[in-house]
Amino acid sequence: MKIGLEVHIALPTKSKLFCGCSTEQTELPNSHVCPVCMGFPGSKPVLNKKALEVCLSVANALKCKLAESTSFIRKTYFYPDLPKSFQISQLDQAVGTDGRVIIKTSAGSKEIRITRVQLEEDPAKIIRGEDYTLIDFNRAGVPLAEIVTAPDISSEEELSSFINELRSILYYQGVDINKELKADLNISTTGDRVEIKNVTGVKNLLDAMRYEVSRQEELARNGHEIHSETRSYDESKMETVGSREKESAEEYGFIFEPDLTVYDTSWAVLKEPVIASRIAEEYSKKYNYSEGTIYDLIKFDMKALEFIDSAKERYSMQSVVGCIELLKKYDLMSIDEASFEKVLKALDSGISLDESKIKLLISGKNVEERHLNDEIIEDIIRKEIGDAEKFKEEYARNPKIINFIVGKVVKEYGASPGYVAEKIRKMLNL
Amino acid sequence: MDLRYSGTMGMISEFAASELPKDYYANLLSEIKEINKKLNAFNVVNEGISSGFPFSVKDNICVKGFEATAGSRMLKGYIPPFNATAVERLLAKDYGFVGKTAMDEFGFGSFGINTDRIARNPFDTDRVAGGSSSGAAVATAILKYHVAMCESTGGSIANPAANCGVVGFTPTYGVISRYGLIDYSNSLDKIGFMARKAEDIRTVLDVVRGPDKRDTTSVDRQITGVKKSRLYIIKGTLEKVDKEVALSFSKFIDKLGSEGYEIKEVSVEDIEKSIPAYYIISMAEASTNLAKYNGYKYGLKNENFVEQYNDFFTEARANFGIEAKRRIILGTFVRSANVKGRYYYRALKIRAKIIERMSAILQDGFIISPTLPMKAPKLEEAQRLPPVKAYMSDFLNIPPNLGGFPHISFPFDYIDGLPIGAQIITSHFNDYALLDFASEWEKQFEYRFKYNLGSL
Repeated sequence: MKIGLEVHIALPTKSKLFCGCSTEQTELPNSHVCPVCMGFPGSKPVLNKKALEVCLSVANALKCKLAESTSFIRKTYFYPDLPKSFQISQLDQAVGTDGRVIIKTSAGSKEIRITRVQLEEDPAKIIRGEDYTLIDFNRAGVPLAEIVTAPDISSEEELSSFINELRSILYYQGVDINKELKADLNISTTGDRVEIKNVTGVKNLLDAMRYEVSRQEELARNGHEIHSETRSYDESKMETVGSREKESAEEYGFIFEPDLTVYDTSWAVLKEPVIASRIAEEYSKKYNYSEGTIYDLIKFDMKALEFIDSAKERYSMQSVVGCIELLKKYDLMSIDEASFEKVLKALDSGISLDESKIKLLISGKNVEERHLNDEIIEDIIRKEIGDAEKFKEEYARNPKIINFIVGKVVKEYGASPGYVAEKIRKMLNL
Repeated sequence: MDLRYSGTMGMISEFAASELPKDYYANLLSEIKEINKKLNAFNVVNEGISSGFPFSVKDNICVKGFEATAGSRMLKGYIPPFNATAVERLLAKDYGFVGKTAMDEFGFGSFGINTDRIARNPFDTDRVAGGSSSGAAVATAILKYHVAMCESTGGSIANPAANCGVVGFTPTYGVISRYGLIDYSNSLDKIGFMARKAEDIRTVLDVVRGPDKRDTTSVDRQITGVKKSRLYIIKGTLEKVDKEVALSFSKFIDKLGSEGYEIKEVSVEDIEKSIPAYYIISMAEASTNLAKYNGYKYGLKNENFVEQYNDFFTEARANFGIEAKRRIILGTFVRSANVKGRYYYRALKIRAKIIERMSAILQDGFIISPTLPMKAPKLEEAQRLPPVKAYMSDFLNIPPNLGGFPHISFPFDYIDGLPIGAQIITSHFNDYALLDFASEWEKQFEYRFKYNLGSL
């Protein structure tokens, strides 16, 4: 099975790709529009250099080769959402090419190649009523990055992992991941490639893929050939539906965009790529802590990563993670690093914290220290460990097992995770 | 009149130095309206004009609040909410906008006949005014104090200027911002001017030229006026023009030779390929530019909203004229995947070669020719011409337009009472040299006009 994706994401810029209109999507339709993004006769596009810079950063984060100079083309097709009846997009001089994303699955790591990352304008939004269609041009001209993968994805697990990984990388580039992901899905199983256009949202992508794969397998089982075609996904029925358009009829008549020039890219200041999965892997090894826990904490939360980085050399990873989890639980992640340090310090010294105590700490007050009863702690540890020799054997194979015991003790008694871990090591001479 | 008008030898300075009667503009308007019934120079007149040196604007250039149809039914009722940059800059200097001038639909034509209201030649109303800036040339030929802002893609300034006996100037591509110009072929479109004196064109050129952040292809460059004492005639030119035009032109060249110019023949390899290259590039771009006219956002409205999109669009787009439809179909074909290499990409290569070869020649001389191969044809003659014949009549104007070279047309003779124009081409950004040349010629040749509306 071969699956490839074309993902469209809105780039985080204040103004649109070719005019000064705001990219903010407001309730009031057609309020952020001008002659340029409405395609009025006489208007001309002017490239928003910021959008190019952000797109270069995204391509860079996806390990692409960046174009030294980049240019645009016109892609023509007739649809009411396209103000000029052509979309300004890219072809040969795309912003980035030949990139890759490393995904993790139960079978290990795998590389998914990124064929290209290109910059283009979003069409308008179509609002369909029962017997009418409305057009809202607020979205027309919003800068999009189109990310095209090679057909390297070969299972549902890989698809899910890839989308997750991609979203995390994009999140760290400032992309709003709360906006629904839009993608075209190319799937070939036993025959030709079938394209499912305009699937919105992660859940729908996975559902559409599952349906299409079983549809193709069903056809193959019954001896039918699978022909290249374009389909769409019907969310309500959870199935893919054949479109009237034929694949071969797709003719965009590309020409160079004559209102724009060739843009040098050497001036751009790129945003540092952050690959959360790689950081989780690194910290897991270095601080002997669960990779999955760290990844879940930081994949869509740069504040969590900042907190970890500020404290990881001075506190145990157990305490740091515990502290962040507490803050997340009480929705207090917006505090600054100094406040975080106060909460972390208290937690690490074994104080059991609840929401009101954390708030006291943040406001600069002290909370009462509790005298730890080592005997009780040791009792609980002994109870959880059971046979000490057996535990040591298990520990030798998987040192992270210690975190499991720490978790239990902290839950039962409320001591600091670092303190408990140290205690366990001492008791068992580890 | 204030002294912001900097010209010293043109109609602008003469106007600026004059005392205007109180009802000058009211009288001018009523004269224009009266004669417009016969000549169709204007699509719209500005009833509100009350000051400034009058300038007209070709109907494919946007003036805020005034209908801009580009000569097309598809744009009937389109009122642009903004000024073209060039218009904006003239208005800021107290020039007075007098009206929108007639043209071939979207600039598609050499005779001004591809539109509903056809402009007539003031020298003989049975004849065409030329195209596509037909109304601009007629307005210039009938108004004494006036400049016409117009536009050329493949010869649309030089051609009607020659047919109507006025000076028509097309600058280097990029010298005047295209913001506000309704696109025909963006990589070829150039805003320029027509006037009764070359000096007036210099005056307005200096007001409107220069970079514009709203047009990426506008350039920030000084222009020069380097005089060339050599005049090149491209081999084969005179064999392809009417005998009477060739004879008259040869006398003109002899005269220039006797005045010290060195006349030389030159051949430009593949120059004849610039015609198909021009039509391929311009039609490819035009077919994308015209894709937006779908009958629901601006201009002509199709009210049949119950139809399917394809039927709705098809119905609206039936309102294009025959020449527009032809160019949409051909332009869509030449950029389609199967043949793009043979047509579109090849045309781009030819353009690059022509620019290279002409630039080399223009280093040490001007290229000179008659502007047109014949005098203005009768309306019926022009209407009977098959498309390819009509396209071929542009063969002298297309090379400089394809290459973005500045060129000028000015009258040098009259045959049977009809003006005959000469065209001079120079190298990129040497635009002033052309105005200097024409000004020099004006010292010994008197342009003739049948009408002088707005005389003082």
